[in-house]
Amino acid sequence: MAHFKLPRWFHQLGSPKWFYQFAGLLQPWLALISLVLLFWGIMWGLLYAPADYQQGNSFRIIYVHVPTAILSQSIFMMLAVAGAIGLIWKIKMAFIVARACVPIGASMTVIALLTGAIWGKPTWGTFWQWDARLTSTLVLLFLYLGILALYQAISDRQIAARATAILSLVGLVNLPVIKYSVDWWHTIHQPATFTLTQKPNMPAEMYLPLIVMVSGIYALFVLLLLLRTRNEILAQEGRSGWLTKLLQEGHA
Amino acid sequence: MLKYYLCLVWRDLLLVMRQPAAVFNPLVFFVLVVSLFPLGVTPQASQLSQLAAGVIWVAALLSTLLSLDLIFRSDYDDGSLEQLLLGSQPSWLLALAKVTAHWLVSGLPLVILAPIVSSMLFMPYHALPGMLLALLLGTPTLSLFGAVGAALMTGVKDGGILLSLLVLPWYIPVLIFGASAVQAASSGMPMNAQLALLGALLIFALMVTPAATVAALRVGQMQG
Amino acid sequence: MHLKRKRKLQQLLLLTVGSGLIIGLILYALSENINLFFSPSEIASRKAYPVQRIKVGGMVREGSLERANDSLQVSFMITDYQHDLVVYYDGILPDLFREGQGIVAQGQLQADGAFVADQVLAKHDENYMPPEVSDAIEQASAAANATTEQTDL
Repeated sequence: MAHFKLPRWFHQLGSPKWFYQFAGLLQPWLALISLVLLFWGIMWGLLYAPADYQQGNSFRIIYVHVPTAILSQSIFMMLAVAGAIGLIWKIKMAFIVARACVPIGASMTVIALLTGAIWGKPTWGTFWQWDARLTSTLVLLFLYLGILALYQAISDRQIAARATAILSLVGLVNLPVIKYSVDWWHTIHQPATFTLTQKPNMPAEMYLPLIVMVSGIYALFVLLLLLRTRNEILAQEGRSGWLTKLLQEGHA
Repeated sequence: MLKYYLCLVWRDLLLVMRQPAAVFNPLVFFVLVVSLFPLGVTPQASQLSQLAAGVIWVAALLSTLLSLDLIFRSDYDDGSLEQLLLGSQPSWLLALAKVTAHWLVSGLPLVILAPIVSSMLFMPYHALPGMLLALLLGTPTLSLFGAVGAALMTGVKDGGILLSLLVLPWYIPVLIFGASAVQAASSGMPMNAQLALLGALLIFALMVTPAATVAALRVGQMQG
Repeated sequence: MHLKRKRKLQQLLLLTVGSGLIIGLILYALSENINLFFSPSEIASRKAYPVQRIKVGGMVREGSLERANDSLQVSFMITDYQHDLVVYYDGILPDLFREGQGIVAQGQLQADGAFVADQVLAKHDENYMPPEVSDAIEQASAAANATTEQTDL
């Protein structure tokens, strides 16, 4: 394995003590940011954005569907990357973060699937269609559930973390299939509305609220992740000296 | 290296021959699952022949799952797996040899049984060569990905159901392209694209899974 | 040391060859174009067998939609601008079903060449726009048509 030097913050993030305190400082700000963004985005999207020329008002569910769908995939990516970091550099914090990711990712996938079904009924004429993108999102949910089950099955947290890291890395194979499935089997689901390289096929008054919602839901994710990670640190480091000291001082 | 590989494969085959029941049971299961469909859905030939492609692939997936536990279980239990992992030969070769042996005793028999089963489902005879090709390309992929799951399960007691939860999602691409290949073959359409994709999946599995299997085996050793 | 380096090199070589093969196979598969539904032309040239449940896809021909007065029975024609196919359907059509729009129908081909669908799905494109914008586009194209007609006269 190559031994190139890692930056200082990388090691700081790798220390549960430093992470716990830093995350505690960030929390209130993240809570504020996500609340403001989500409120703003929902209001703008539901009340002020114009209705679609074909789908009418039912298209507005895009403001929940697309952010959660994007998040469900990026969380899986993050989970696998965190697992890889943990396996390669043997950093305990990476495993803790990965473990905190999984339930959030699974819930986002469920929300994306549900809102997609609700949207599908009026526009396509069916709640569910065995089309590539829907199917691979369902597979994504199965992958999340498998990882959750593996965490449950192995009681030793260190070993469970390593096993699930391998599992999620192999599962990451599924993500490109999700991304390109629309092009591979061209079926009923429209191509991605948003790409980084192209201008969106939507007027500004429709996609700006969507961008606000996406950023809001990312902020919410980071907040939830920090909360869960701190919780996980408490569970794993319960007996370590720094934690008891912090708790006695009342800073926790 | 080749000698080491062949030696391991032969060793596994010998072990299996001493205990044939473990191999036969998944095959019997394969035939049983297929024969449930005429009973449960309809005995009508026209409808069964439409279902045939999917049913055969689903049954193949499930019976592969049943046999996955064979790959590492006994070697893990008697400690020989640990010795093999400590050996001087590259350990991905060990993973590959294990998978080869598993495919020879679980995947290949499925391919051989498939013509019989497909006639139970009234699949048109002109689809047979296509189906055999698809199964030949697809079942090794099933064994390769299954080995990763089986390796993860070495340290877990009673991991049977969990194993299926972990591995089945990885099988979905094989199922999709495999069934679609057989479907195409039976409706007389070209199936080159599906076969090419099955081939791509197989090469991909060959590149990715041995390393993952070894990593998972080492995690399993930590638990012992 | 040398042995190790040789093995690394071998692995690298195998990975490159493997990825090359995968990309090649995928490109080949893409060029083969997996058929998910039949077009009316393919139906006309008897590529599909009547017994099977199949999917057909095409554009709904303008002015071909007929609704029954007393039931949900509808019939319309789909076209790929070379051949037409009559589709019968009993049920509620999706919102995005329009004449001139693409649809995919699932069902069985009848002996008389008509298609009886048990499911009709609308394909919708990835373009979203407010109604005023699409009205404007339509008016603009109508105006353009009008001027060309005038010049023709």
